[in-house]
Amino acid sequence: MENYLKKFRFHLRLTGVSAISRRYFVMNAFDGALTALGVIVGAWTSGPVQPRIIIGAGLGVSLAMGISGFSGTYFVERAERLRKLEELEKSLLLDLDNSVHVKAQKTAMIWAALVDALSPSIAAVTAIVPFVFAHYGLISINEAVIISLILILLVLFMIGVYLGKISRERVIISGIRIMIIGIITAAIIILLGNI
Amino acid sequence: MVKSPTIKRVVLDVLKPHQPTIPELASRIVSCNGANRVKISLAEIDQNTESIKVQVEGSNINLETIKTCIEEMGATIHSVDEVEVARKV
Repeated sequence: MENYLKKFRFHLRLTGVSAISRRYFVMNAFDGALTALGVIVGAWTSGPVQPRIIIGAGLGVSLAMGISGFSGTYFVERAERLRKLEELEKSLLLDLDNSVHVKAQKTAMIWAALVDALSPSIAAVTAIVPFVFAHYGLISINEAVIISLILILLVLFMIGVYLGKISRERVIISGIRIMIIGIITAAIIILLGNI
Repeated sequence: MVKSPTIKRVVLDVLKPHQPTIPELASRIVSCNGANRVKISLAEIDQNTESIKVQVEGSNINLETIKTCIEEMGATIHSVDEVEVARKV
């Protein structure tokens, strides 16, 4: 197990996929959180909310974002990395098929695709968890909406904190900055919903 | 009893990509069968590649094994610049 982990880390370092994965993670977790926010606030402003519908729509959106993220990123990364390998083969005048580079690039493609698939899905699923409680009558629908919005804002705040850590800025400010985007999005949806 | 000659030291001219790094390549080569000590020095650096001199020392170096280890890391041997062979009596 330790050997696999060591090999996996070596592959990530060799291909430089970590920086790209960080970008994918932030971009797509942000996408997932805002999409869930759109579904929940949009449904809430349109009339009486049924937890079942929010759960169904939320899961559908998560699944679609996951599949789209995985396949899109896998094929984009594959194309880019195959081209890079070919360039390297030309520079070295060597067939790299049996080298660690081919294995490492394959690991990088799958890792980037997984990050791209899981980050929006996890963010969106987190937002619909309160509606599961509402569905079983443990909390009211209005409470579910409020808890869900708080969870989404928390996810956005955490994304901001993570970005702040990467850029070595003040993490709280960075967290609040990203959270404000969520608040503005919710406000616009509410305004449009009331027209 | 006379033992057959064995390679104790080789110096190779190797072309490698920037990744894996020189310490990573050296660690891989030293874990190859027959190698006890590896010294790498950078000769030239290019946009995609690095030319390096790899000195491998060991009790019984198998050049084919070293070649496989180096190629597994995506590098290629350009030439064998020096060889030191000894025969134990």
